[in-house]
Amino acid sequence: MADTPSPDSFDAIVVGAGPAGSAAALALARAGRSVVIIERGPFPGSKNVYGGVVYARVLDDVIPNWWEQVPVQRWVVRRSTMVMTGSQAVTVDVRTQAWGRPPYNGMTVYRADFDSWLADQAVAAGASLVTSTVATGLVRDGTGRVTGVRTDRPGGDLASRVVIACDGVNSFLAKEAGLLPKADAAHHTLGVKEVLALPAEVIEDRFGLAPGEGLDIEMIGCTRGIPGGGFLYTNRDTVNVGVVVSLTGLAASGVRPEELIADLKEHPAVAPWLRGAAVKEYGAHLIPEGGYDAMPALAADGFLVAGDAAGMTLAAGLWLEGVNFAIGAGLAAGRAAAAAIAQGDVTAAGLAGYRKALEANFVLQDHKRLRGAPQLVLSDRMQRQYVQLICDLAEQVFTVTNPEPKPGLVKLLLRGARRHKVRVRDLVRDGIETAKVFR
Amino acid sequence: MADGGQGPAPAPVGPSPVGPLVVACLDPADLRQEVDPLTGEVRADWRRADLSASDGAALEHSLRAAEAWGGTVLALAAGPPGLDPVLEQAVALGARALRVPWSDAHSGPAVDAVALAAALAAAISQAGPPALVVCGDRSPSRGIGAVPALIAHHLGAEQALGLVSLTVDQSSQVVIAERRLDGGWRERLRVRAPAVCSVEAAGVRLRRAPFAAALRSSGQPIPVAASQSGVASTGAQLRIGGPRPYRPRTKAVAPPMGGTHDRLLALTGVLVAHDPPRIVGPLGPVEAAGELLDFLDGHGYSPPSGPAQ
Ligand SMILES: Cc1cc2nc3c(=O)[nH]c(=O)nc-3n(C[C@H](O)[C@H](O)[C@H](O)COP(=O)(O)OP(=O)(O)OC[C@H]3O[C@@H](n4cnc5c(N)ncnc54)[C@H](O)[C@@H]3O)c2cc1C
Repeated sequence: MADTPSPDSFDAIVVGAGPAGSAAALALARAGRSVVIIERGPFPGSKNVYGGVVYARVLDDVIPNWWEQVPVQRWVVRRSTMVMTGSQAVTVDVRTQAWGRPPYNGMTVYRADFDSWLADQAVAAGASLVTSTVATGLVRDGTGRVTGVRTDRPGGDLASRVVIACDGVNSFLAKEAGLLPKADAAHHTLGVKEVLALPAEVIEDRFGLAPGEGLDIEMIGCTRGIPGGGFLYTNRDTVNVGVVVSLTGLAASGVRPEELIADLKEHPAVAPWLRGAAVKEYGAHLIPEGGYDAMPALAADGFLVAGDAAGMTLAAGLWLEGVNFAIGAGLAAGRAAAAAIAQGDVTAAGLAGYRKALEANFVLQDHKRLRGAPQLVLSDRMQRQYVQLICDLAEQVFTVTNPEPKPGLVKLLLRGARRHKVRVRDLVRDGIETAKVFR
Repeated sequence: MADGGQGPAPAPVGPSPVGPLVVACLDPADLRQEVDPLTGEVRADWRRADLSASDGAALEHSLRAAEAWGGTVLALAAGPPGLDPVLEQAVALGARALRVPWSDAHSGPAVDAVALAAALAAAISQAGPPALVVCGDRSPSRGIGAVPALIAHHLGAEQALGLVSLTVDQSSQVVIAERRLDGGWRERLRVRAPAVCSVEAAGVRLRRAPFAAALRSSGQPIPVAASQSGVASTGAQLRIGGPRPYRPRTKAVAPPMGGTHDRLLALTGVLVAHDPPRIVGPLGPVEAAGELLDFLDGHGYSPPSGPAQ
């Protein structure tokens, strides 16, 4: 257990009780450090919007058998990728029962449940949590070193040896520390989603699931040509449907984000799944999708930044993972801060162990390997021309036009490429690029 | 129904009592309850429990009254453990806190208000004789607003309900209360302690707790009042039926008279003489007020003669 903190001075202050913040506080508390988490919402997760699937194997070493206590909705045993135009859909569907058994793979969870649960783990380890409190700025000493945070409560200036900013995307604290640019629309997407209520048995019937099993569908080609994609995830008795679109693309298009969800819900491949569903909730949130190349420096004197605050969501077409990356980064930040405090050196150099830890694990290794993915996936050719090409090709392969004989695949491909103005040269170049990015 | 254990009353958590006891009787509730559009079922999430604006005002008035009298505030609420975080907020503001376990405290109009008020009054009496009990005037859990009056009845206290302002006389245990009356009038009351007052969300805002106090109170266990053996449920005074489609009452409407043209003229009033609009400005404030009053006078809206406001 950590020491009881004095009311206004701590070893560490963690701003934000999202996955990154709770993981950082958990690591610090386990290292015996006094740590307080400051959360602006009335309880952890109350303010958080996301798609719906968490990959929690990152917790294996930290919370043994976490799956026995985590507040899960459904264990994902089916993952589909759907390429679609207004009237066509080509789906690759992966199903394995192995994902429905310990140690599991992905799970759908409500963030209000999951974030509260993770914060409870940190509190049980000795961290303090103060909710309904906004960190409004950083406190620094004469040398510029961060020595605490300012909050919106009376007597709310708090001192600490390290501040860990886990305040999510568009982090005001990371901006104030000079680590993030003031505005950076090009490296952000907007996620909007609806939560739709359907009885559990209806969900199981329509999506071919057994009780407790879940489905995750990622979609491309459903955003009126605005770079982005769509998703559909099944909870126990609700379904999350939404889109994620480039912020600059959305602004240029003049389309309202809710129109995109309405389109998606009416798509002939999606509408039958949602028949009779009632909208329970609507939410929108930014996602940092710049990837490795847009990530800020991760440490300053007395200061670390983790999770979405540091742009750590992995948005690489096939994957949209942020929670596991936030937990991985939060744990590393907490451990590095505890080690630096023990060493008595909380300068940026003393906190450098954080970046080293991330480079040695999946957080920066995956980001580095997939650094070209965001640009590739959001490119115009990928978003419009290839989507149409794939859908047409699939349609024609399975269209029987007897008495004419079946056309050859290459012939169909070339015909489709001509129709959608795709140059073979670009096709080959993008194929090589894709192979390189996802190698 | 009361679900607490038997035995001696536990001491409320918070600072030791000094001076007169002021009780803030609170009804924390999920302020964004979901109503199923088909079944009418109301679903509440306790994690979202908070004080309504009028309960916030009740707590703030209690804190001010206790400050003026050099007394202690007891924040009291009835309900499940899920509302403890709200009582922690009151503790962070310097109040003592106590929860009365009560499982149907949030059943809306169907709550057994008589039994609930009896349980609250018993918990108040156990904490000490109160000088003042302040409640919010409107229940976020859709109660019928009878609980404050019933508490006053049980405590044998005076009552002043639906107040827009509440100040206490520092030298005597007198509460000066102001209440709205019809027609924009207000009445000012001098209420002698012990008194039960309910306040509107008007004029005051609940203060914010300092960080250190919020940190200290976070996760502190809130004591639970012993179950009240004398409190027996008499059942709800109001019976709630199942949801049904809305059927407006039939209203007799006279059949239309005359031809289409006449009816159109009657509806639009085009051929009826009326005062054309006048431009009277720009005017100074006094002249403008005069103009408005003359207009209201001329159209039969002049205020009835009554006592000065
Ligand atoms: C539409 C959408 C779909 C997504 N889908 C998925 C998915 O399916 N799977 C997945 O793994 N990831 C997904 N993500 C990404 C994921 O949500 C994030 O990567 C993850 O939440 C990051 O965690 P975090 O702790 O860094 O930040 P957050 O979860 O954003 O938490 C930040 C916390 O800090 C608090 N806070 C902020 N500012 C302050 C302040 N000044 N003072 C006090 N508190 C503050 C907030 O209230 C919040 O609780 C999605 C995101 C979006 C928007």
